[in-house]
Amino acid sequence: MSATLYDVAYWISSHLLGALGGLPASSLPGAWGVGATALAWLITAAVVFAASLVNILVLIWWERKLLGRFMDRRGAMHVGFAGLLQNLADGLKLFRKQVFSPREADPLGYYLAPTAYLITSIVLLGFLPVSAGFVAGAVPLSLLLALAIFSFAPLFIFVGSWSSNNKYSLIGGMRTAAQMVAYEIPLLLSVVSVVILSGSFDLGTIVQDQARDGWYGAPLILGLIVFSVAILAEIERIPFDLPEAEAELVEGWNTEYGGILFAMTMMTDYIRSLVGSYLVVLLFLGGWTLPTWGGLGILSSFPLSGILWFQVKTYIVFGVFVWVRAALPRVRTDQLLQIGWRRMLPLSLLNIAIAAGWVLAGWPHLTWPSV
Amino acid sequence: MRPKDVVPEMQRTFPDSVLEASDRQGILARVRIEPRAILPICRWLRDVAGFCHCSLVAGIDWVETREVLYHLWSDEMKVYLELFAILPSDDPHIDSVGEVWRGALWHERETWDLVGIRFDHHPDLRRLFMPEGYQYHPLLKSLELHEPEELEVKARHV
Amino acid sequence: MSEMWINMGPQHPMTHGLWNLRVKIDGEVIVDADPEMGFLHRGIEKICEYRLYNEVVTLMDRCCYVAGMSWEHLYMMAAEQALGVEVPERAEYLRVMSAELQRLGSHLMWFAAFVQDLGLMTPFLYGMRDRDLVLDLFQAYTGARMTYEYMRVGGVRNDVPVGFTDRARRVMDWLDQKIGEYEDLCDKSDIFVARTQNIGVLSASDCVNLGVTGPMLRAAGLPRDLRRDRPYSVYPELDFLIPTHEGADVYGRYRVRMEEMRQSIRIVRQTLDYLDRHPGRVLAERVPRFVGAPAPVPGKETYVLRRGYPKGRGFAAIEEPHGEATAYVVNEGAENPYRVKFRSPVMVNISAAKSYLVGYRVSDIPAIMGSVDICVGESDR
Repeated sequence: MSATLYDVAYWISSHLLGALGGLPASSLPGAWGVGATALAWLITAAVVFAASLVNILVLIWWERKLLGRFMDRRGAMHVGFAGLLQNLADGLKLFRKQVFSPREADPLGYYLAPTAYLITSIVLLGFLPVSAGFVAGAVPLSLLLALAIFSFAPLFIFVGSWSSNNKYSLIGGMRTAAQMVAYEIPLLLSVVSVVILSGSFDLGTIVQDQARDGWYGAPLILGLIVFSVAILAEIERIPFDLPEAEAELVEGWNTEYGGILFAMTMMTDYIRSLVGSYLVVLLFLGGWTLPTWGGLGILSSFPLSGILWFQVKTYIVFGVFVWVRAALPRVRTDQLLQIGWRRMLPLSLLNIAIAAGWVLAGWPHLTWPSV
Repeated sequence: MRPKDVVPEMQRTFPDSVLEASDRQGILARVRIEPRAILPICRWLRDVAGFCHCSLVAGIDWVETREVLYHLWSDEMKVYLELFAILPSDDPHIDSVGEVWRGALWHERETWDLVGIRFDHHPDLRRLFMPEGYQYHPLLKSLELHEPEELEVKARHV
Repeated sequence: MSEMWINMGPQHPMTHGLWNLRVKIDGEVIVDADPEMGFLHRGIEKICEYRLYNEVVTLMDRCCYVAGMSWEHLYMMAAEQALGVEVPERAEYLRVMSAELQRLGSHLMWFAAFVQDLGLMTPFLYGMRDRDLVLDLFQAYTGARMTYEYMRVGGVRNDVPVGFTDRARRVMDWLDQKIGEYEDLCDKSDIFVARTQNIGVLSASDCVNLGVTGPMLRAAGLPRDLRRDRPYSVYPELDFLIPTHEGADVYGRYRVRMEEMRQSIRIVRQTLDYLDRHPGRVLAERVPRFVGAPAPVPGKETYVLRRGYPKGRGFAAIEEPHGEATAYVVNEGAENPYRVKFRSPVMVNISAAKSYLVGYRVSDIPAIMGSVDICVGESDR
């Protein structure tokens, strides 16, 4: 059976309120119905939030261990089995630190920036489908919405860097804004090529089309590379982490943040990394589906297999990002902008042309427009 | 110029200023000069004798006098030359050789800071190691190491 | 945005030590630089005037903590000249072996910090891992990884243990192979090359006038190396090359130091061969009594009581990993030296900051300052 998370939550909430009020669950009158809906939303949000937080913790664990192995060391070892609870311990430590703001900082901007940064990034996790039914809220144009919310970040980074009243933060914030703006365009253009092949802005539909026609990473290999590089620049990982390059700017825009505010910032960075990897998998690597020809059908036959394979693919993609971080040096700001405007932009346009070429050559599925 | 010609040439060119020269193991010569003549001698050494590198400017405190010491290196002859001048302790000052070798500037700052020898016409003679406003020159023998000193140094507000 | 002064330091992850680099920037471009030293000034020269000659060795380890053996060697040569003491040949070879192992350790540390500043995280740990091997070698014969106190007036404290030379040869073979790997890792990375070429250029004539020495000078094309130009200790009998490069930029300094590591391995192998073949004393037979006790062998008191301590001055100059370091010891016939003066290459290299920083961007500062190889302990003393 396939039911979305919301359906399950509504079933729970309606039966719960029905039992409380002695009413049948399937038809709750007036205020009770509104209450059931609200409770369902609350349950859904809580489940998604908790699952995402656990996912983030495991993601950070994966990065630390993998990075350690690249560097000929073992990474976190002691807290929990194989260091699995290390990040929980780090988070708890940051949680209990004193919350303060520098004397000359602007308190509204200082407290608002990481909070809004975190909130807008968590919103992304609310509608990205993780499996056929596992989506908190189904949105028709989820791809467009995801990319739009993804690009809120520079605004809040800028606010945070300015209100810290620190020259290093200011420089870091300006660099971040320039970098993110420069790499939004190749990002969006490579997404356009996927939409051309699929005909839809809905992520669920895109994944179903890939299940039928083959993963888009194969015909659009150039798009996959451009998109991955642009995502690396958007989430500020090496080789594009100049805004927070600790060698020059201490910590970049969040130099002055400590304690829970810093934890929020760091968590948001990893949430964005997770969302970036999700997008790569959803758009180019077939989402939660695996090929079913030959004998591979049994891999997708057990319950919750979609979620499992989706997570596996995400972690493989993120593993490649960690590999890149371990191996490459940092690119300087002007070189970074040159790469963005002079190399990535033409390549993404070429990618669109390739996608159009595939369509003309008779790409199997196309009903245009379909939502 | 060959190494053994340097000191005789110097004595010939600056007859009143080169006061004595002695051989030192490992160094070409140890030459005492008149403090007033330091700049022309250094210019001559750099341009004519080929001592292109000023390795060290140091100060030594002999309680009634202070000695300022220069080590120069020549790339062609591959030798060090030591110049020194004796200055009176109540007013130790000498011309700065920064215009001949820019590398001597920080050494002179350090010598001013630690030994209290003032260098005239130095573009930026301020303390190097000790904070601004420190009243003593630490390497003088008058400052005993194991006695507490009274300080009035304010932190710099950035 | 108008010009503003930025303080990079004294607390900063990049500066590798406690000093303050003040740069005046106009947007992204540097227009002026003013380094501030003195945060790590411990008065080493003043303290030396209150110590016996052998007790000064502890201070030399802490003077430059990354290159302790080199500074011990430097001070010992100057003190022995001031006191008139001769050193047996095996002790000289042990000193040179220690100095060259120390050069390897110092350059590996430089490599680790340099690539870390550029963003390469992995070779940082590889460099530290290999430096650990060198420090383990030091621990085998001095007992310490950083503060060795190994040399004494007239020789060294003790000989190397049995089996040390084989172990050292194995470490040299490993390092020889690894240095090639690290060079590959950096040279074949386009990003690394783009970030280090034509950055921080300081031409040879500027270097000479500013007093800059060491790998910075050799990267500008001038082959001045005190081990070759004014040989000391047993360097005349050893066979090695002096690497230079023509670029005078950050990339050139990196290449010079990598090649110097190879030459150091070559020198260490030659000293190990000598140590295997020629046993002998490691401490001079007649050492003045007042230098301080170097752990006498019971029953074999080798001190000579002199009536009237001699006077003298000693001068020594070595090629330390960072550049040309000199020591000047004034011996006025007392138990303590009257004045000890050290020339630190790093202090002079930093003083030239304005010449090689102005005109480049703020993002280039880690690359340039990393290539200068800063150790604040010896700069501030």
